[in-house]
Amino acid sequence: MEANDARKSGPTRDASCDKQARRERTRIVVFISFIIVAFVGLGGRCYYLQCVAADHYSELSLDQRCSSLPLEAQRGPILDSRGRVLAASNQIRTVFAEPRAIAEPKETASQLAPILDMGAHEICRLITESRNPGYVALQVDATASRCDAARALYGIGVQSTWRRHYPIGQLASHVVGFTGRENKGLGGIEHRFDTELSGEGVRHAFNVDVHRRPLSYHVPQEGGVIATPTNGSAIILTLDAAIQQFAREELLKQYEKYSAESALAVVADAQTGAILAMVSLPDFDPTNVGRANPDHLLNHVLTDQFEPGSMIKPVVTAIAMDTGVVNKYETIFCEHGNYRGRGFGRIGEFDKGFGDLTVREILVNSSNVGMAKIGQRMGPERLYEGLTLFGFGRRIGFDLPGEAEGLLRHPSTWTGYSITRIPFGQEISVTALQMVRAYCMLANGGRLVRPYLVKALVQPDGSMVDIRPPALRVGYVIKPEISRWVVSEALASVVNEGTGKRAKLEKWQVFGKTGTAQIARSDGRGYEPRAYVTSFICGAPAEDPRVIVLVSVRRPDYAIEKRFTGGGTVASPVAARILERTMTYLEGTDPVKRTVARAAR
Amino acid sequence: MTSRLCFAFVIFFFAGILILAVYLRSANHRVFYTLRRQTIEQHRLQQELWQKQLRVEALTSPAAVLQRLDQ
Repeated sequence: MEANDARKSGPTRDASCDKQARRERTRIVVFISFIIVAFVGLGGRCYYLQCVAADHYSELSLDQRCSSLPLEAQRGPILDSRGRVLAASNQIRTVFAEPRAIAEPKETASQLAPILDMGAHEICRLITESRNPGYVALQVDATASRCDAARALYGIGVQSTWRRHYPIGQLASHVVGFTGRENKGLGGIEHRFDTELSGEGVRHAFNVDVHRRPLSYHVPQEGGVIATPTNGSAIILTLDAAIQQFAREELLKQYEKYSAESALAVVADAQTGAILAMVSLPDFDPTNVGRANPDHLLNHVLTDQFEPGSMIKPVVTAIAMDTGVVNKYETIFCEHGNYRGRGFGRIGEFDKGFGDLTVREILVNSSNVGMAKIGQRMGPERLYEGLTLFGFGRRIGFDLPGEAEGLLRHPSTWTGYSITRIPFGQEISVTALQMVRAYCMLANGGRLVRPYLVKALVQPDGSMVDIRPPALRVGYVIKPEISRWVVSEALASVVNEGTGKRAKLEKWQVFGKTGTAQIARSDGRGYEPRAYVTSFICGAPAEDPRVIVLVSVRRPDYAIEKRFTGGGTVASPVAARILERTMTYLEGTDPVKRTVARAAR
Repeated sequence: MTSRLCFAFVIFFFAGILILAVYLRSANHRVFYTLRRQTIEQHRLQQELWQKQLRVEALTSPAAVLQRLDQ
């Protein structure tokens, strides 16, 4: 039995051993194959992640660890000639909420209410009713402590923005202008010099940690430079805020007294044409432009074109004398106020008629007949050329937008009426600035000037760029002796003896001319009844003119005085007061005169 | 005993070095963050000063002075 068993177990045992060994080997092979496949798979995955999808994951990584911050440049300030700030920007902090990130608005509002010192209901309403799911402003110009406390809450953030300030309010609103939502200039100097004032912002990129705290600058390439924002340049104007205040205060009284449609005042340096003050009423508050009447945004000094009336008579007279058509000694017969002729109809006087008048007397009495005859003697070509040289009929190229060019038709289109009407200020349209320019030229000895408002630009690096208009290389528009006579004799007499008596000042000899022009109908058929533009333009002192002042009031209500009142009643008292205050102020602040006065004491 | 103490000391020493190395590695970032905070704070104070200056300008403007004189 045992031998059989022994014989039987020998060969059987070997077979089962072989079978087991084969099974073991198979398991090992399978296991190793599995390991190999797994590692190949991992290798393939690594290759995919590192090579094929590298850009995608780099971008995801960058998004996660990079954050960018826009840095807006500070908008440059606007200063007056004495360095007073007319407009400037400063940074304010706004506490805002991100409505989509706030799960419980009521709870957030109740936590935020004591921090911001606002009602919880109000905060909740702002969050829930916001149309923008990413941003709603809760408190503008919040203090630093409120900002720090508020930002600790989830869904609440703090944003720094630039806000434009106008410390002088609406004093020079038309000159300075205003900015819109994105700090873009929309009117006045803010618009005209928007590029220079804006500066250039940059965007800084940072590597951040999980709490979004910056760890280092993220520079995309080797040797890259971290840019800094370039702040806007500062603009220095020729305007003087004190003189602007005088002009606005005096003009406002008259504007309100006569319930006028509009009024304007311009004060200019007679020698250089620099604008010291420019007022247009009605005006507006530049910090609250959204609520202003759109009609109040018009700068009447630049946009209004009106017939100058008698104000242009001294200019025409100067041209006539310069061309030798008349002289100061001869007399002209003024037809006793009733001048008729073929081709030019009937010309009358405003008040009474006159006989023989000298050129000076024509201006003092503001005779229309006298001026018509002077115009006829000159002829169309000489008159047109002279008026063109004085700058009428075209834009000056002023530093503010919206300038009108006036209207002076070419002589080829003139009729017999034109040559007699233009000399006393009809059939020609001018702007206030053109009149000021013409009188500056009369006052400064006949030299050409170009009114300007911007004196200099101060760049962020502190360098100053003088941007006053270059001195015009033209000789004299009219001879100096003629301009001197017109100003110191004729126009001074207008104030001493004529229609400008209300502009007399004790301390200085004032020269000036009134103007009362009718307003043309909009359909072009004649003039509106009882609708006038009353003006007065003057300067002082006559012997050495320093300042020119123009005041113009449109459609004053004559029911106030119960009679017709012209430029001599409505405009000249205002101009005189502005002139007096300006001259006193300029003499008081003149460094040479102050030293002399101090030495004399 | 002595060798065990030495061994423990070496371990602690290396651990300390590693911790210090990690700490120093992030020093640059900490300094940068502190610098940014101070820069922003300085900028905020400058703006606060500028805002006060603008308030002074508003109070000393010709219109405001004349109004107070009238009152």
